[in-house]
Amino acid sequence: MNRNRTFSYTIPYYLWLGLFVIAPVILLVIQSFGNLSGHFTLNNYATYFSSGTYLRMTFNSVFFAFIVTGITLLISYPMAYIMSRLKHAQFWLLLVILPTWVNLLLKAYAFIGLFSKTGTVNNFLTLIGVGPHQLMFTNLSFLIVAAYIEIPFMIMPIFNSLIELDKSYINAARDLGATSWQTLTKVIFPMSMGGVKAGIQAVFIPTLSLFMITRLIGGNRVITLGTAIEEHFLVTQNWGMGSTIGVILIVAMGLTMFLTRDRKKKGARHGK
Amino acid sequence: MAQPIIEFKNVAKQYDDNIVLKSVDLEIEAGKFYTLLGPSGSGKTTILRLIAGFLEATSGDILFEGQRINDLPPEKRRVNTVFQNYALFPNMNVFDNVAFGMSIKGKKKSDIKAKVAEMLTLVKLKGYEDREISELSGGQQQRVAIARALANDPEVLLLDEPLSALDYKLRKDMQYELREIQKRLGITFIFVTHDQEEALAMSDWIFVTNEGEIVQNGTPVDIYDAPINHFVADFIGESNILSGVMRQDYLVSFAGKEFENVDGGMRPNEPVEVVLRPEDLDLVSVDDGKLVVTIDYQSFRGDYYEITAHDDDQNYWKIQATNPAVTGERRGLFFDPEDIHIMRLDESEEDFDARMEEYEDSEEDVQHES
Amino acid sequence: MANKSKKWSNIYLIFVFILMYAPIFYLIFYSFNKGDFMADFSGFSWRHYIDMFADTRLMQILVNTFIVALLSALIATLIGLFGALGIYNTKQNNTKNILLSLNNILMVSPDVIIGASFLIFFTMVGLKLGFGSVVLAHIAFSIPIVVLMVLPKLNEMNPALVDAARDLGANNYQVLSRVILPYAWPGILSGFFMAITYSLDDFAVTFFVTGNGFSTLSVEIYSRARQGIDLSINALSALMFLLSLILVIIYYFISNYSSKGSKKKRGARMVVHQ
Repeated sequence: MNRNRTFSYTIPYYLWLGLFVIAPVILLVIQSFGNLSGHFTLNNYATYFSSGTYLRMTFNSVFFAFIVTGITLLISYPMAYIMSRLKHAQFWLLLVILPTWVNLLLKAYAFIGLFSKTGTVNNFLTLIGVGPHQLMFTNLSFLIVAAYIEIPFMIMPIFNSLIELDKSYINAARDLGATSWQTLTKVIFPMSMGGVKAGIQAVFIPTLSLFMITRLIGGNRVITLGTAIEEHFLVTQNWGMGSTIGVILIVAMGLTMFLTRDRKKKGARHGK
Repeated sequence: MAQPIIEFKNVAKQYDDNIVLKSVDLEIEAGKFYTLLGPSGSGKTTILRLIAGFLEATSGDILFEGQRINDLPPEKRRVNTVFQNYALFPNMNVFDNVAFGMSIKGKKKSDIKAKVAEMLTLVKLKGYEDREISELSGGQQQRVAIARALANDPEVLLLDEPLSALDYKLRKDMQYELREIQKRLGITFIFVTHDQEEALAMSDWIFVTNEGEIVQNGTPVDIYDAPINHFVADFIGESNILSGVMRQDYLVSFAGKEFENVDGGMRPNEPVEVVLRPEDLDLVSVDDGKLVVTIDYQSFRGDYYEITAHDDDQNYWKIQATNPAVTGERRGLFFDPEDIHIMRLDESEEDFDARMEEYEDSEEDVQHES
Repeated sequence: MANKSKKWSNIYLIFVFILMYAPIFYLIFYSFNKGDFMADFSGFSWRHYIDMFADTRLMQILVNTFIVALLSALIATLIGLFGALGIYNTKQNNTKNILLSLNNILMVSPDVIIGASFLIFFTMVGLKLGFGSVVLAHIAFSIPIVVLMVLPKLNEMNPALVDAARDLGANNYQVLSRVILPYAWPGILSGFFMAITYSLDDFAVTFFVTGNGFSTLSVEIYSRARQGIDLSINALSALMFLLSLILVIIYYFISNYSSKGSKKKRGARMVVHQ
């Protein structure tokens, strides 16, 4: 109503938008065109696209993120489906959310204990006569820990899309003669696609950039885009190259969002 | 005539290219019950929000007791609103809702308490002070909303379709109660509704709106008996509308015949529309009828039968009768000259009023003669 | 048939929950180990808890972490609340959508990108890395979640409530303090709690902008974990888990309270992101 007032109390927010959302991204892009002494150059991109190491690393990162997303989706969909039909669904959802509130590092740290040479898993493997094995610093251990960490983030959006689904659609499908399997595949699953896509976004993009797990569990064997950025910024201090990989990661992120965007709702259902 | 409490002079409202109100003039006198009646999107709620101050007029003047109030914010206007979905504050109980306006003004606690009790008694919710809003039924919420608005001692109470969410029986009761409250307090009520029955039952004066204009205003009886045009005739009450030709004063032709009537003031042989209300039509024997119709269909409505029939000219007729008819039977249709209402095509409200005044007098003469 | 599938689905549910909680309880369990490793439980002992509390560096870091979390959450909640009000009051749909998209950029950006770009930004403006840069970074990435928690509350509010308040004589400030804020309060609280969680949980962004002198719990755990097992970290994790549990319970009550009227969307409000 009062234009001046509206403007004044929102100033901090707009400052934040300018300084912490727009400026950093622009700076990152600018930095990616700079060499070690800060002059404009395309060298970083040239190096990136001509180097087998960088391209292989990118491919690996995307590949592992795919597998992790696949595993979590496979585990999470049935989980979310079962949970959504329980009586105290919201309580079960809280149980899913609770582990996400435990510090990520602590969870990764737990697996160091579990997977170490004298750790619990190896003790168990020895007990049943198939161990011990080298578990730490393997691809498998990275996949397991990454999937473990990401599962709640896949369950939540799928759960939300399923719980919002009007039960009368299911009744209608059954009424029209669909079996429960047909109802699931022809009605429930398509209608929960929004949640699945949100889940894929919430898992795939962070997995591309996970770096503490590759450091702690993967033992630098699996280099993700995130690890590479961390390495260039904090270890080799080559910010230009780090920023270049950052730009690649942003592009990958944009691509993921584009591919999993919601085609149906053009703002109509999106009350946000 | 006393100064009107609210006056609109050429008030218009448009959003970008979308004109929601075309140059409206109206006058509201203090102490009466007014209704703005029209279909949704006709501009009636826009008029209400302009009075309340939630909207700014694009052009024209809005006067309150002769003072221009276009730029006065809603909190400074001596007008309060009962909102369509009540808009009760969910975080406050009944007492705090009713006390809201007074506590904003910083009134004394004891005064507030007394006033809230008085208002709740007025709306028959005595003792409900500590109830939460979510515990109340729709009808009770409605009463709290009325009490909250009235607790501010407004000069004018605006009611934005306040009864639309209630069921039929409760709505009837509330109509009666609202009218009682208005009479007791003696303040002006401006009531918005799309329900013509509600408007006819409650109002001293009705403004009929359509497509951003006030098409007719008058007492409920005037508007029902003498609708100005096809829209009003159709919107208010049931009607049979036929096209006809005004042969001369007091003689109209429709359905292939000529009839004596009580209207005049048109050109000879002017094409007009003829309105006949279903309850004014009687089914009689074929010989006694002014027209002969064939009964198509009838349905029982409790206190009457609604009968559909067609005449030999293939005009369809709605008839309300106390006795049932037999489908397929040929019957006579009878009506009096004064049951025929003539509407000129595209007549302005001023011309209409002037003509009505002139011919209403002569109408009495005609009746005296006969 | 129905019973059988129900049995299987219950088994699956329990199995996944065990998977999800096993590593956490495993950590907590071994925090009571007399021995020094996360294997071969050799007897119950409070030893590692005593060690933890005696570790002044760790305690200092713990205090730092909470100061950062509370401070950044508080400021982020204030700025985010005003931001949400600004977006809510924006009439043009296009501007609104642009603001919302910008708001969500930090929600979807990977942590490393946020960390790296903030590092560039802080270095460029000449801010010394340490407590200040960490708090600023935490405020920055917590603001969007506050907006996302508050905005739905504002949107679900019947706009006639604001009209009604003005109609009854309230000015702008009174409309805000008496009607809008009480209505949005559960959303504001949720936003505040989510901001605390985000701050406590963050590792990557802090790791980039923390410099040498200042450390938070996540960064400390990371550097200790790289050196191997240290059971005082287990003790710490038990403590943190307890804290999370308390926060969840508080959050549960808030969201229960807020959805007293509209039961539908409780879970949906817990926005999903790391």
